[in-house]
Amino acid sequence: MDKLTPLTIAVPKGRLQSAVICLLEAASIDCSELRDPSRRLIVPVPGTKWRFLLAKPADVPTYVEYGAADLGVVGKDILLESRKDVAELLDLGFGACRLIVAVPESSGIENVKELDFNSRVATKFPVITTEYFNRQGIQAEVVELNGSVELGPIVGLADAIVDITETGTTLRENGLVPIADVARVSSRLIANRVSYKVKYATIHSLVVRLRGVLAGECSSGVEGAL
Amino acid sequence: MAYTMVQTPRGTKDFLPRDAQRKRWVEDVLQELFLQWGYQEIITPTMEFYDTVGAGDVTGLAQNLYRFFEREGDLLALRPDMTTPVARVVATRLRDQPKPLRFCYRANVFRYAEPQAGRRREFYQAGVELIGTNSYQADAEVVALTVEALQAVGLKDFRVDIGQVDYYDGILQHPALSSEERRSMRLALLKKDYVSLEQLVANCSLPGPERELLRQLPELRGGREVLQEAMAKATSPISIKAIENLSAIYEILEEFDLAKWVRVDLGMIKDIEYYTGMVLEAYTADMGFTIGTGGRYDNLISQFGYQCPATGFALGIERIMIALTRQKGWPPLGKQRILCIALADEPKLSWQVARKLREYGYIVELDVWPSPDQTRDYALNAGFTWIVRPLNQGTIQVLPPGGDWREMELADFVEALRDEEADVNG
Repeated sequence: MDKLTPLTIAVPKGRLQSAVICLLEAASIDCSELRDPSRRLIVPVPGTKWRFLLAKPADVPTYVEYGAADLGVVGKDILLESRKDVAELLDLGFGACRLIVAVPESSGIENVKELDFNSRVATKFPVITTEYFNRQGIQAEVVELNGSVELGPIVGLADAIVDITETGTTLRENGLVPIADVARVSSRLIANRVSYKVKYATIHSLVVRLRGVLAGECSSGVEGAL
Repeated sequence: MAYTMVQTPRGTKDFLPRDAQRKRWVEDVLQELFLQWGYQEIITPTMEFYDTVGAGDVTGLAQNLYRFFEREGDLLALRPDMTTPVARVVATRLRDQPKPLRFCYRANVFRYAEPQAGRRREFYQAGVELIGTNSYQADAEVVALTVEALQAVGLKDFRVDIGQVDYYDGILQHPALSSEERRSMRLALLKKDYVSLEQLVANCSLPGPERELLRQLPELRGGREVLQEAMAKATSPISIKAIENLSAIYEILEEFDLAKWVRVDLGMIKDIEYYTGMVLEAYTADMGFTIGTGGRYDNLISQFGYQCPATGFALGIERIMIALTRQKGWPPLGKQRILCIALADEPKLSWQVARKLREYGYIVELDVWPSPDQTRDYALNAGFTWIVRPLNQGTIQVLPPGGDWREMELADFVEALRDEEADVNG
């Protein structure tokens, strides 16, 4: 890999961070500084002109679209919601979960078509949700919440929710059942459209290497993270 | 005060004097170059009938048009680009002219899109259209002029990518694909959503070589060697013809010694649907979005009832401005400004001195404040290089930057300015 071409990679803070580190390390990228960033938001990759930028997951597409970062790792849910104009290079596999429509079990509803014309849907993903219901031909009212979306149906704010779920535990604990899949989402490697042209050789060789790791050629590090 | 009185609509922008001056400079440099190449300026209305720019969605931009009714009841739209209005003009008014026609323009265009990452709803373009021939020489000229235009405004580190839409069309036209699959694959390529592309390719019933080629399409980028590789991998006569065409264009650019600015990118898909052959995209390393776009559009003019091939490009003026600022590439544009203090009892004398200095090419403001205090405040705060006070026809008092008043002959003052300019420019 070309380690002398400056490359900025936006890494999401939080849930996915350790999986990203493991994947990159499996691809022989030195993440020692990233493992211990203390309070730094920009950390170098030793021995290269590369650097990591630690960003809130929802901001990763923005950094990449504007070219402040050349590459970024972000969940497909956030990517769909942000509608940013970036190149989507690779499905990294981890962080896999489902984006679902769920309703209170007590409602007896089993199909989204049963939601009537003045249904309200609570979600953190208003863009995806609106698009989904439009596609289904259902004129639902989308209510945007910033967290604890499960609360919506319990207190009568909404008739249904659209949210991500990995195991369904939180849903069950709140008396909700999934009735439809909106999308299956996982982490993606994204690139700024111009960086992808300008730094093509560097980015492409990284993609090839990551593909190799994902195909299991040296997957031990990644497995450990999941 | 109402919010709408003091703000401008989303996606629009004021150009204050410094930016306005820079914008005009970029436009003037480009215009001069286009004119030198034989492109004649064309000016069309800001608004067109909706049918012209939107019907049949010739542009693929119909979703993003600003539409409105005029009082007679006709549906109008603000132009989303200049290529379509020029196509209308050619088809309706210039059929009999000797071909090729060469037109250039600089104009504001309007697209109703979410303002972000260098996109605004009203923005400015300068570009050319070369109309009447489908020769590869015409496409090569358009690429060459794109390169020279970016050089002329002083951009460094730019590239022009060229592609050929028939190359991937040749794959997508394979009978094994449904029209829905074609549409989805094209969209995935356009959005550079290679994850979806991979899924679509994996689930389609294309034969192996076509499948592999679609997968590799995003990787077919680079120099001359990519053309050979693409030729070797081509799976249809349409794709082969596309590479022959692009190779011919590339060879001319090598002859022009411009190939070092050019990259081949066969994964390039355009968001505007009228392109039919070679396409191009210009960008700089400093900026996350493209600064110019263009290509061949042989079926657009026929939408207006006249079959006529054409090719061209448009550059985004604001994007060039952003790139020049990033590269610290602006030439000094500010001329020396001189304030000529008026003498209440002898207005004619100030007038004559100001006129004399203007004749020499300097920017001279006549003082219009009634009191000396107001004049002084203005003079000190408005960034003048020099302040002059006429004494008589040939003699003036001069206040130089950071100095004291001194008496000079007008002719000596002009000479001093000249010398200083020579120093700055030399």
